[in-house]
Amino acid sequence: MDDMSGSGIKRASDEAREELRAAMVRLAEGDSAALEQIYSATRVKLFGICLRILGDRKEAEDALQDVYINLWQRADRYDPQRASPISWLATFARNRAIDRLRTGKVRGGAVPVEEAAPLPDETPLADILLIDAERDAQIHTCLKTLDDKAQTYIRAAFFEGRTYAQLAETADVPLGTMKSWIRRGLMRLRACLEASEVDANGNGGARHER
Amino acid sequence: MSDDIQMIPPKDPEDPVMRERVIAAEYSLGLLEDEELLTAREREATDADFAARREWWDDWFVPLSDDVSGAQPGDHVWNVIAAHLDGRADAGAEAGAGADNVVLLDMERRVTRWKWTAAITSAAAAVALALFAFGPNSTPVSQDAPALAVNEAAAPLMASIPIGETPLRLGVTFLPGSDEILVSAAGLTADGVHDHELWLVPEDGSAAQSLGVVVPGEERRLNLSDSVAANMGDGVKLVLTREPLGGKPEDQDAGPVVAEGALQQV
Repeated sequence: MDDMSGSGIKRASDEAREELRAAMVRLAEGDSAALEQIYSATRVKLFGICLRILGDRKEAEDALQDVYINLWQRADRYDPQRASPISWLATFARNRAIDRLRTGKVRGGAVPVEEAAPLPDETPLADILLIDAERDAQIHTCLKTLDDKAQTYIRAAFFEGRTYAQLAETADVPLGTMKSWIRRGLMRLRACLEASEVDANGNGGARHER
Repeated sequence: MSDDIQMIPPKDPEDPVMRERVIAAEYSLGLLEDEELLTAREREATDADFAARREWWDDWFVPLSDDVSGAQPGDHVWNVIAAHLDGRADAGAEAGAGADNVVLLDMERRVTRWKWTAAITSAAAAVALALFAFGPNSTPVSQDAPALAVNEAAAPLMASIPIGETPLRLGVTFLPGSDEILVSAAGLTADGVHDHELWLVPEDGSAAQSLGVVVPGEERRLNLSDSVAANMGDGVKLVLTREPLGGKPEDQDAGPVVAEGALQQV
């Protein structure tokens, strides 16, 4: 990606992020019109997350409805200082999707661990609300320091919403073995991430603009 | 990457020291279930350090979502969300012309999606009439009452009011000459914050008359006063409003209209 398009995207991204943050503040103050603006800006990204976890369009749409209705009901719980709004919203959406997955009524996605069929990217705007290019680079860097098994299964947990029991069954290993693989990986991951936080020089590695 | 954080991995995956280092990560990722999950939830509510550590993991994992392709949800999704907003926004405030237009637009979108055929309505009518013919009863009606002959001289009036984007309907049945209506809200659930009140809109333009608060998930008979019963007729409009628990408070305007239908002679 050459620098010219990179800075244009970055500017659009920064503006979008600020507008979203302002809308979240208004929402917390009870402005219902802000919800439509937030929906418009974030629905593609959040629906993508729900769809990836639930593997079923109707279920994902129901989950998405819950996300925004719940957002309206608890908008005052978002702290604009703490996290970027899209970061908070994406976590919120993922958690709701996983809650729905755990009710046991959803198929639970027989999607293979490695790669779901890529969904058409219908709105270029989806790329503008990147969560955080720098932190994205860092988590990827740290994940790559783990052994293959730990990487694979931690990703499966994040992207597919799998539990220890489900992962053990799919991999055909005892539960204790899967827990051991993942826990060791998480320990290493924690050490790597904490090291990056105290590293005053900033971690190497280029910023990845998309 | 520094390798000086070396640990000799314990062989036991249940080792408490190891577990404690990563339990918040497991919780954040959604790896836990059953008792472990319940324990983690309780701990999050009471242990601020644990809650903070969970958020720390959430914040680190979430940029991975940038790798997930976006997707476009159906247009109807926003309609459902907007319908929930009606109950919370401007509660108790005057309904200005602008607000009325917004609610009416929502109504038109919902009404055009109502595809129930007459066949379904008359099947529901047969069941409702059978239950109705058993006489005044303040308790929920039984689901398996046998059919009874219908008095064909008193052709019943029915309304089938669609609820938002769902396939659920509020069923209203009235036998002319009686002083009761049967309201069926099967499949609907309470949200703990709102009640829904059913109103008759008299054709002469006089004030709407309350038929009572709907009990979600049940079929109930509601008694009608003479003046209300007199206004029941073919084509008469019924509306459902969203109110606080217990129905419209005496000193306030009715809440927003969230569904409407009309009585029809079956």
